[in-house]
Amino acid sequence: MSAAPIEAPLLPNRLRNARALWVVLIIMALLAGCALLFARGAMRLSGDWQSQLSGTLTVQVILESSEDWGPQTNLARAALADAVPGADIELVSQDDAKALLKPWLGNAVLPDDLPVPGLINLTGNSISTASVQSALVEAGLKATIDDNSRYADQLRGTAKRLVGIGLGTLLLILMAGLSVNIFATRAGMTAQKEIIRVLVQVGASDKFIAKLFIGQALRRGALGAAIGLCFAAILWGILSLTSEWGGLGWTGFTAGLKDILWLICLGVIFAGICAAAAGITAARQLAFERKRL
Amino acid sequence: MSNLPDLVNFERVALRYGRGPEVLSDATLDLPQGSFTFLTGPSGAGKSTLLKLCYLSLIPSRGLIRMFGRDSALLTNSERQAIKRRIGVVLQDFHLIEHLSVYENVALPLRVSGQPRESYNDDVVELLQWVGLGHRMQAYPPTLSGGEKQRCAIARAVISKPDLLIADEPTGNVDPGIGRRLLRLFSEMNRMGTTILIATHDTHLIDEIDARVLRIENGMVFKGKPS
Repeated sequence: MSAAPIEAPLLPNRLRNARALWVVLIIMALLAGCALLFARGAMRLSGDWQSQLSGTLTVQVILESSEDWGPQTNLARAALADAVPGADIELVSQDDAKALLKPWLGNAVLPDDLPVPGLINLTGNSISTASVQSALVEAGLKATIDDNSRYADQLRGTAKRLVGIGLGTLLLILMAGLSVNIFATRAGMTAQKEIIRVLVQVGASDKFIAKLFIGQALRRGALGAAIGLCFAAILWGILSLTSEWGGLGWTGFTAGLKDILWLICLGVIFAGICAAAAGITAARQLAFERKRL
Repeated sequence: MSNLPDLVNFERVALRYGRGPEVLSDATLDLPQGSFTFLTGPSGAGKSTLLKLCYLSLIPSRGLIRMFGRDSALLTNSERQAIKRRIGVVLQDFHLIEHLSVYENVALPLRVSGQPRESYNDDVVELLQWVGLGHRMQAYPPTLSGGEKQRCAIARAVISKPDLLIADEPTGNVDPGIGRRLLRLFSEMNRMGTTILIATHDTHLIDEIDARVLRIENGMVFKGKPS
């Protein structure tokens, strides 16, 4: 007897039959990939900013005259060393402190006796603004404290919103993907009504038929995701090369690798959503058709 | 034969499509296991509808249908599909899947039932050669003649060696020689224990073999040829 011919798929799988659907899936995967990379970039950027700002604090010692600069700042430094023992205390020089006034005062030559505040930067873990304040008061110093962590909080809030926007967009795109696949499966079942009828006739169960549509949608979703997410990765790679995007893009090999792993996970989820939508729709449609008999 | 249980049993079965008139009304019949039955009657009498009820493609408006000893109204989906796998059906319009080859179409019931390809390949090839389609195994239905499609549909219906074979005008599109050959195939299957129900207009076919004849008139089933 002759050898068995290669088993053909029971549902036709010609690309030209679903070209528009392929385009939609690829674009959705591209958008989903961009939304994910945006969210990941915003998360990364927020982390960088927070690590730079958290645990830093600037003390401004208000002086009566410029001659007090040395004694008062030394006194302040000693008080701070007692109040926050583990902190890194850095005294900003008088010239540097004057330089900071330039944006407000321009390039005018400042008088030598201008009582420029003494600036001290504190860096360390869990510095309490209240304890710093009380130490300075106890030392009899007049000072204001610039707590940089409050900027970190603002940045954290902004970054959270950006991440939320990215993830929200991603969720919406995945929901749209679900809807598109439900619609595509219904259309596919209508187009392949005759095949389904024959399959039912020869004893195929609903599960068997639904599995055919699941397989078809899974292949379609996986391939659409692979193409769309590759485009997203290429796009993000190009954008990362331009300086305007800064830390939002890929800042290094590790960041890029992690994002690509996330993109692969997204591809799996995307294909899974396509398959689940097809399976549920096919099962429901078959049950509905049976009830209509 | 009469001692054997009925494979199909209709009791006062009626069917209407939507709100239309009843196509069948009070149809009562039985198909004993191992019987060979011709169903005849004028066009539009309801032969195809009765066959659809027999292969569980329609649900009756009223009445009782028992298939393989089970009330069809009480069957679960899986039981219904299991019974369908025991029925081979040949329809007038063939219902072949166009993107599958003749081989794939014929092998379909076995593939659906989950049998491995190696287990049925030889049977499919042998049957295709027997029905005269050995040289057309790799052809696709759109390229087949009406007679070839008919033989392909018949081969698909009998490949799984069903307990019940239902055929709607199975020799309508084939030449007399092939028609006789197909009838011989049905007789052979019947001899092996398959219950056969054939709807036909062809009185010559009915005369060819000694079989029960049922006729449909006015939506009811009667025994014997039309007068």
